[in-house]
Amino acid sequence: MPSRWLFRITALIAATLLAACSGGSGFQEADAPPADETGGETAAGGETAGGETGAEGGQTLQLWGAASSPAEDAALQAIVDQYSEETGNTVELVFQPEYDTTLQTAFAGGQPPDVFYVGDLRLPDLAEAGVLAPAEGMIDDPDDFYPSLVEAMSYDGTWYAPPKDFSTLALEYDVAALSEAGIEPPTTWEELAAAAEALTTEDRVGLVLGAEYPRWGAFMFQNGGAVTDEEFTEMTVNSPEVTEAFEYLQGLYEQGYAATATELDAGWPGEAFGQGKAAMTIEGNWMVGFMRDTFPDVEWAAAPLPEGPAGPGTFAFTVGYGVAANAANPDASWDLVNYLVGPEAMLEYTSQFPVMPSRQSIADDWLEANEGLDPFLEGADYAHAFQFVPGFQDAVDTLNDGIQGVAAGNREIDQVLSSTEQAGQGVLGG
Amino acid sequence: MNAVRRRLQTSEAIAGWAFVTPVLIGLVVFLIVPILMALWISFRDWNGFTPPGQSTFVGVDNYRALLLEQGVKRFDFALAIRNNLYYVLGVVPTQTAIAFLLAVVVNQKFLRGKSFFRTAYYFPSITSSIAISLIFIFLFQRTGAINFLLNPILASDNMNWLENANGVFHNLFSVFGVTTPPTFLAENSVMGLTLWQWISGPSVTMYAIMILATWTTLGTLMLVFLAGLQGIPNEVDEATMVDGATAWQRFRHVTLPMMKPTLFFVLTIGLIGTWQVFDQIFAISAGGPQKTTLTPAYLVYREGFRGSSMGTATAVAFILFIIIIVLTLIQRRVVNPDEV
Amino acid sequence: MSTDISTSSPQPATAPAAAAAPVDAGQPTWKRIGKRILGYAVLILFALAFIMPFALAIATSFKTRAEVQANPLGLIPQQVTFEAYRAMAAVDLPRWAFNSAVVTTFVTLGRLFLDSLAGYALARLKFPGRAAVFALVVGVLAVPGIVLAIPRFIVLGQLGLLNSYAGLILPLAVDAFGIFLMKQFFESIPKEMEEAARMDGATIFQTFWRIILPLAAPGLIALTILSFQGSWNEFLHPLIAAPSDPSLRTLPVGLALLRGAGGEQLDFPLLMAGSLLTTIPVAIIFFTFQRYFISGVAASGVKG
Repeated sequence: MPSRWLFRITALIAATLLAACSGGSGFQEADAPPADETGGETAAGGETAGGETGAEGGQTLQLWGAASSPAEDAALQAIVDQYSEETGNTVELVFQPEYDTTLQTAFAGGQPPDVFYVGDLRLPDLAEAGVLAPAEGMIDDPDDFYPSLVEAMSYDGTWYAPPKDFSTLALEYDVAALSEAGIEPPTTWEELAAAAEALTTEDRVGLVLGAEYPRWGAFMFQNGGAVTDEEFTEMTVNSPEVTEAFEYLQGLYEQGYAATATELDAGWPGEAFGQGKAAMTIEGNWMVGFMRDTFPDVEWAAAPLPEGPAGPGTFAFTVGYGVAANAANPDASWDLVNYLVGPEAMLEYTSQFPVMPSRQSIADDWLEANEGLDPFLEGADYAHAFQFVPGFQDAVDTLNDGIQGVAAGNREIDQVLSSTEQAGQGVLGG
Repeated sequence: MNAVRRRLQTSEAIAGWAFVTPVLIGLVVFLIVPILMALWISFRDWNGFTPPGQSTFVGVDNYRALLLEQGVKRFDFALAIRNNLYYVLGVVPTQTAIAFLLAVVVNQKFLRGKSFFRTAYYFPSITSSIAISLIFIFLFQRTGAINFLLNPILASDNMNWLENANGVFHNLFSVFGVTTPPTFLAENSVMGLTLWQWISGPSVTMYAIMILATWTTLGTLMLVFLAGLQGIPNEVDEATMVDGATAWQRFRHVTLPMMKPTLFFVLTIGLIGTWQVFDQIFAISAGGPQKTTLTPAYLVYREGFRGSSMGTATAVAFILFIIIIVLTLIQRRVVNPDEV
Repeated sequence: MSTDISTSSPQPATAPAAAAAPVDAGQPTWKRIGKRILGYAVLILFALAFIMPFALAIATSFKTRAEVQANPLGLIPQQVTFEAYRAMAAVDLPRWAFNSAVVTTFVTLGRLFLDSLAGYALARLKFPGRAAVFALVVGVLAVPGIVLAIPRFIVLGQLGLLNSYAGLILPLAVDAFGIFLMKQFFESIPKEMEEAARMDGATIFQTFWRIILPLAAPGLIALTILSFQGSWNEFLHPLIAAPSDPSLRTLPVGLALLRGAGGEQLDFPLLMAGSLLTTIPVAIIFFTFQRYFISGVAASGVKG
């Protein structure tokens, strides 16, 4: 008879109730400093995260990251192990699926990890909420980082998360296609348009380009435009500069020299490029690993993004290491971060992969290991961050939807820009 | 006799509560308390990172921004409601009808290979959603199998399914030459959306997702119907074998009434589930193209976990909650399950 | 095979008197055979359309990434590779599978017990507050799960259940869907049987346990399959309930880590191999249990 599990379930429920009675109401206590990940509050559940806190030999820290490829995860694990060995601190590296959701839940529940990845797009939200500890004075040789990256990892003038590495957008092209057509990689808007036209054939378009702000934005910068001013106080998206950049791109799609990935039956532009459905694309460092694994036979190369009327412009995407504002163990946490973004550890990690080191002093060493990727590195000098202020997501979505419409030819540019302006004004209060 | 009945009533009352108490405790701890917390948050301005106790009280501001104030929040919410409404209207009747049909067929006594067919029809329910999405994307590509079949019928040239924001009804109107809205529809708006925008129909991409969703839930619903059919005693079962008009009448007057509780369950679960569609949107379209697959549940995720406005997110959830409850009550009236 | 049982069927009320008319009578044989063939052809076509994705997932898991690009819909890999399965040997698959098995077993047992008890009470027992309890059950379903992620995390934290098996199991064992399912199922069972038992002096629990549960076998089978499938595939709850202890990860959470593996492009062979490994146990459970769906099972419970 099932009385045994009847008993067991009753026992479990009773345990839950007891815990509920002793646990308090949930809201008041959430204000308390985050429980030390390794003990304290979680002890009642029986299974705790790690070893002993405050043991003689060293500290136990949890480091959370978003999972990438197994090789990259293993490389970071090796560096973390090295650190643990050298310092006597124990670092548990936990890769999280659905990283942003998991991290936010842990913060809201008052139980954040000690050290964690912070993406450039998310940084303003975390900084505004006041959950990040400032990095100033915690990191050796901070001037060595690319200024654009430090800026991307800052909010309201305070630097929070030292960047671990970064990627930029460049122009990737099919070497054979260009040499067949007898053209050089384009360096200006005019040349890009001409190349796209010349490279377009019956079963290939010249350029495959995603219809979204993180791609089209680069063209806005190249024409001296931007969505907001630099201080995020007012919307500047509804301007002649942006309109012109959009008209330029719209023309390419309209004439059939450019296409989105979906139009080419591909999941994303890199795929269409690899399949030979397009001769050029604009993507980031991740193209390297992708092409090697999926299209090993395609010969391709990268060039800096063509310059617009106002000069060069691209995006840099970066991730940094954050420390919780009320970390249980700030000294040990910053010590770990300092080690991870130190020149040795950073070079060891980045030289194995196409992502670029955020320290300028090791750029040359990295290039030696990653030949031909200088166009990506070069972008660091003039790159903009893909970043706004908290709550701006609605406006970005409105812009992205508009861009999709402009590329598809069913939305008017001025209407898209003015609706984006309205959406953004609601957030900036302008 | 009265005393006996009273005693029976009392013991039923005691037993009733004893039977539901274990689950009630769990419901309160793991669902009611979190729901009340979320309700509390919907009246506050909370960034979703700091402990919720540090958020500030804003009254009904979150609800007002979604329902009354002109702006992107209300616009997006209205779009999400419109998109989801078409989704529900398309998916619920279809999945219920086909699942019922499949269940009746694989429940036939004379059917050989019943186990095989049941398992086969259950497979989409258990195959990973990524695998299904992947195949789905291949099928709906411009040069994919769907277009290959449809090109001769639609007289269209490789329709773009996966990034097509055109409303299906709008497309239909344009067949009859109506491409610009009559002034009445263009100038009157509800919640920031013109009437013309309201009657767009699902976008082509949303339509494709509706097909996918129907297909994946069929197995589960078939299983529920199957269980219901199994409860019908044999002689009734025999009477429902397919043959001509009499069989239809028996189905209509015997099987259908007996399946009413099950039907009510499937319709209610279908209604609730479709109003909360999230997984497919998250995996395939992320609300695009041009916000035509934005749904309230996806809006909850976007506002709360990408936009740091947990207050708005929870407010969306509770307006959605009220919509679902009202529709469930209406549906209950219509199906009237107590009348078995 | 089950005609003998029909005499003891508890449900004569709605069965029409003329139910025994022979089927297919009066039709020429060739027409009958033609109809059968056509019927089976339709059924098989349907079945193929439903199994295709699964077959394709198997094929894809043995392809190279380059071949997935070149030949996405091919059912036979041109160049069979075990790369994906080798990559999975590197992760802690046995541990994830073990955790999934523990969680799923307890959740399914818990739901079977709790849901049938509550479902029966809501369907048949008259007690004050019954309508309110049922409204609560349906109401709870109407709140989208994503909005409860953070509040639930806080509750689990307060109860000290974060990063524990109890925290993974208990919230999932409470399941409004199952209560609703069982309530509706019990409502479709004829009342005569239990009334007879009650008149014979059986207690309510005895009646429920000895008479009603056996009659509810099809409903319990469906609930078992659905609970198993639901908790085996559950992603959001284990993700937030045990974030800092990787040794408590379940299969769906662990495998989701592989999703990031391809960078911008998903590593389809790896994803397919992973999802196959999660799917197979559910398929086995379904196949095992659905065979008990034999017309007449409901009535046959009377014998016992």
